[in-house]
Amino acid sequence: MRVFWMSASLCLLLLFVGCPLVGEQVVCTTTLIGDIVSQIAGDGIEVHVLFSPDADPHAFEPRPQDLVMLHRADRIFINGLDLEAGLADILETFGDIVISLSDDLPNLLAGEAEGANHGHATIDPHVWFDPSLVSLWVDVIAETLSELTPSQAPDIRARATDYQLELSALDEWIIIALDQIPPEQRRLVTDHHVFGYFEARYGLEQVGTVFPGLSTLSEPSARDIASLISTITSLSIPAIFVGTTVNASLAEQIAADTGTRVIRLYTGALSEPNGPADTYLSFMRYTVTALVEGLARTP
Amino acid sequence: MLEWLIAPLDYAFMVRGILAAVAVGILCSTVGAFVVLRGMTFIGDALAHAILPGLAVGFLTAGEGNRDSLFWWALATAIVTSLGMGWISERTRFREDAAIGIVFAGMFALGIALISTVRGFSVDLVHFLFGNVLGVSNHDLVLIASFGGTVLLILALFYKELVIVSFDITLARTLRIRAGFYRYLLFVLIAITVVLSLQTVGIGLMLAMLVTPASTAHLLTKRLPSMLLLGSLLGALSGIIGLYLSFYFGVASGAAIVLVSIAFFLIALAATTVGGFVRRTRNA
Repeated sequence: MRVFWMSASLCLLLLFVGCPLVGEQVVCTTTLIGDIVSQIAGDGIEVHVLFSPDADPHAFEPRPQDLVMLHRADRIFINGLDLEAGLADILETFGDIVISLSDDLPNLLAGEAEGANHGHATIDPHVWFDPSLVSLWVDVIAETLSELTPSQAPDIRARATDYQLELSALDEWIIIALDQIPPEQRRLVTDHHVFGYFEARYGLEQVGTVFPGLSTLSEPSARDIASLISTITSLSIPAIFVGTTVNASLAEQIAADTGTRVIRLYTGALSEPNGPADTYLSFMRYTVTALVEGLARTP
Repeated sequence: MLEWLIAPLDYAFMVRGILAAVAVGILCSTVGAFVVLRGMTFIGDALAHAILPGLAVGFLTAGEGNRDSLFWWALATAIVTSLGMGWISERTRFREDAAIGIVFAGMFALGIALISTVRGFSVDLVHFLFGNVLGVSNHDLVLIASFGGTVLLILALFYKELVIVSFDITLARTLRIRAGFYRYLLFVLIAITVVLSLQTVGIGLMLAMLVTPASTAHLLTKRLPSMLLLGSLLGALSGIIGLYLSFYFGVASGAAIVLVSIAFFLIALAATTVGGFVRRTRNA
């Protein structure tokens, strides 16, 4: 019996301590950040991701293993701008090793004034929909990782530059792809406001959302839905875009009433590995392809 | 005035929303009369959370896109949970609210535990099932009509037994009514009502409709049949008036309906208070 308890407690200990640590430990909050950091980090750096693929970043609740992961981290990359609001108290205890990628970006957009702000000005956190801003993330990531493993700094800088080239190629590809949408059809209806940066860079116009403001938890009024339906009908909007982590029942009902369709998008997280959007680059291509397919079709 | 009343009905979602709000209002306030009189108003919230483990399993087996199968999982879990609540309160002679509290906390924790073992799961799972009175589909209306109709039919058929078992256990013994069976039946009817309302109109509206119209009616009349009728009327009216307010003043629809039902309650409370005061001063 004693042997049993001893081996049991040993197993438990191993579970929490985990495998021996190889190299520097870097933790990223979202799967998007995790992918980008992995592209730049070399062999000496182990990259962990806190949030799950296919899950809403707003609705994250840490498990003990997640806290163990954070406590072992040498650096923690977060999106910032209150995206990780649920984790704020925990992240605060880690002090300087937390690197917020978006807090110091130029040209940040104000959040929708209605509904979203709780007495203070909110900033739209969905920065990753603009690859030119993600390119600025890459500078911060490369600098941080080089500092962490100075011996690999030249390699890290080289990979970062390569990745930035891929980002600008992506940017050009998006501009060409969106050209297939006639100018008068460049209008978006989404579940909530996620495409602020994308619209600002690529010249699309948000004409309505199913849920008011920046949060999916707010409840619309009958007047909101009636005016959304009028907007969709009068502008002949062909599709409503809804995130995979959002309850789509209301959007589906609006689509059924207006003869449009609902197209599901990944918005805050990548798909499962081997899914259609399992890296940042494929995530953006998937999003743009879905937008073009939804909007370019003549209704 | 007529224009004002008809304009919202141009929208199909308003017509479906009003139908659903009226049907759920009638169903919830009828079942709610038993809930309020037996002092178990906590059961609505408890069942809404206790279905979490069922939702988790349903999610795992069916995939998140399938809301229809989630409804069946939720319904089955709610029925099992309500039977468990009935069983514990029978075995222990605790008040029903203690049994409800124990089972609710246990089931909710079980659901959280299940979810936490699987990565890629949203903690906000319960919200996936919850409906919105503005997003009611034709399928939802069919569900309400069939299940709600069945619940009301069973209530009507066994009305006498359910009333005696609920309020006069001595009489039930004298008449040799199987008290256990009818108590369980009532729990199951409540479970069906709760899940049906959750799926179609959401949690806030369900909680308010289960308790408020029946309580308001209880203030105004002590006779159960008139309490059931008055409660249904108030429940249905709250739904209609609330949706019109939501349409014309841009208030969130669920909140508008709840506030209208609360307004009815406050008016009734004021009326009975003033009425009681007048009667007392006359007698004095």
